[in-house]
Amino acid sequence: MAVISFHKISKDYKTGFRKKKAALRDFSLNIVEGEVFGFLGPNGAGKSTAIKILLNLIFPTAGKAEIMGRDAGEKEIRRSVGYLPENPYFYDYLNPVELLNFAGKTSGMNSLEIKEKTEELLNTVGLWNERKRAIRSYSKGMVQRVGLALALIHDPKIVILDEPMTGLDPIGRRQVIDLILNLKSEGKTIFFSSHILEDIERVCDRIGILVNGRLVRTIDIKSESLSMPLEDVFIKEVEKAGGIRE
Amino acid sequence: MTQIWSVALITFKEGIKSRVLFGIFIIALLLFAATTVVITLFMRDIVKVAVDLSLSTVSFAGLLALLFIGVNLFGKDLDKRTIYMVISRPVSRAQYLVGKFFGIILLIFVVTTFLGALSTIPVIMGKRFYYYTEVRFDWWIFLIAVLYIFIKLAIVSSIITLFASFTSNSFIALVLSLVTYIIGQSTESVRLLLVSTVEKIEVSPALSYMVDIAYYIFPNMAAFDLKTQAAHGLAIGPVYMIWTILYAIFYMTIAVAVGTLAFRRREFP
Repeated sequence: MAVISFHKISKDYKTGFRKKKAALRDFSLNIVEGEVFGFLGPNGAGKSTAIKILLNLIFPTAGKAEIMGRDAGEKEIRRSVGYLPENPYFYDYLNPVELLNFAGKTSGMNSLEIKEKTEELLNTVGLWNERKRAIRSYSKGMVQRVGLALALIHDPKIVILDEPMTGLDPIGRRQVIDLILNLKSEGKTIFFSSHILEDIERVCDRIGILVNGRLVRTIDIKSESLSMPLEDVFIKEVEKAGGIRE
Repeated sequence: MTQIWSVALITFKEGIKSRVLFGIFIIALLLFAATTVVITLFMRDIVKVAVDLSLSTVSFAGLLALLFIGVNLFGKDLDKRTIYMVISRPVSRAQYLVGKFFGIILLIFVVTTFLGALSTIPVIMGKRFYYYTEVRFDWWIFLIAVLYIFIKLAIVSSIITLFASFTSNSFIALVLSLVTYIIGQSTESVRLLLVSTVEKIEVSPALSYMVDIAYYIFPNMAAFDLKTQAAHGLAIGPVYMIWTILYAIFYMTIAVAVGTLAFRRREFP
């Protein structure tokens, strides 16, 4: 069963008076339950646009996005979704415990559940001892880890991660990979974008290559054996699609 | 309701911990200290001057807090995309905006209460240290005047909410809110001047019409300025209070409702 579906989605951004730029064109994709789907594409290919449409942060110009068979615009469906944005930014003067409390409350959790989950997650991302410090004193990598904890506080069925490795050192990257593999073993559906091909290849069941707003290829890592390294496949697909258009 | 309250609480917490607020409190303390010194220069009406300057300080510092923290609480969410963490949860755009508005109201309530308590110091000192007693002073009226400063700032909060709902950055929202506040402070005086039978001023019908429109569109801030009543111990009638409070609630409801409508289709790319 597809838990994430994009049906012929197009998205145009206004770039000036009467000027538009197509960020997504006729984009269709289905991601099934328990699948780890890696979204690959050059900068500006439309990866974040697709993710933001799914989270109702922006609206498609045409087409429809669905989560578990329901319109992505329905707010209640977002109870099942955890999201880590690219380069996350949180409230400067709050600490991670306050942020996680907010995230838990808005996701319908009770105080006890939030308390237990907060301790578990902050230990997992290595921030338990720093929990009383305001976010403004955190490094970029630490903020990223707070973002991961926020995405997972309500134990979502679907986890959407937009460039989760950004700003992380090798140890942090390793922790994220382990976290994704752990979520995968719990049967969660994971949809994530990354530029780091090695990570994508390591954790994903399927990969989608997006170039200039079009999904040019999907690769089933388990069943398809690639004749060349993923990096070469990626470059070939980008070139085949006409390179990167500004 | 949980969603609105959660957004309000996180907004309040972020605002109250802001370092800017600390700076504003320092400014207010200096102004209260200056008031205590300045009243010694007066031979009479010492308490009146103390009341007038103290309430002006509460109003000024409250407005600073609102413009520099309140606007920023929206601005950072939209400019730095903190809003992703809210909207990607089961929180609608309308709940976010209303929650944000209540969070700022809560912040302003705490700020006004704190400043209001501090503002009593120059008044108490004025009353205690000078033998000249002024009979026409009532702490209740003083308290009502502080309450009205809070209501005035609550209206400004609703205007900030309205402008933040459709402007692309926080600076524009700040300028528009400030301009609205300034116009709102003077529309009543300008209108009274035009309809005055004592001083006849010849104006074109178009200008008169424009003043009328401005009077009804912009919030009448002057109606919430009770410094004169507090300074002179003039009683504030219950009818006046009921009408002004209803006016404030009506204006805030309309401003936030229009903001919510504009915000419903707002995108966060």
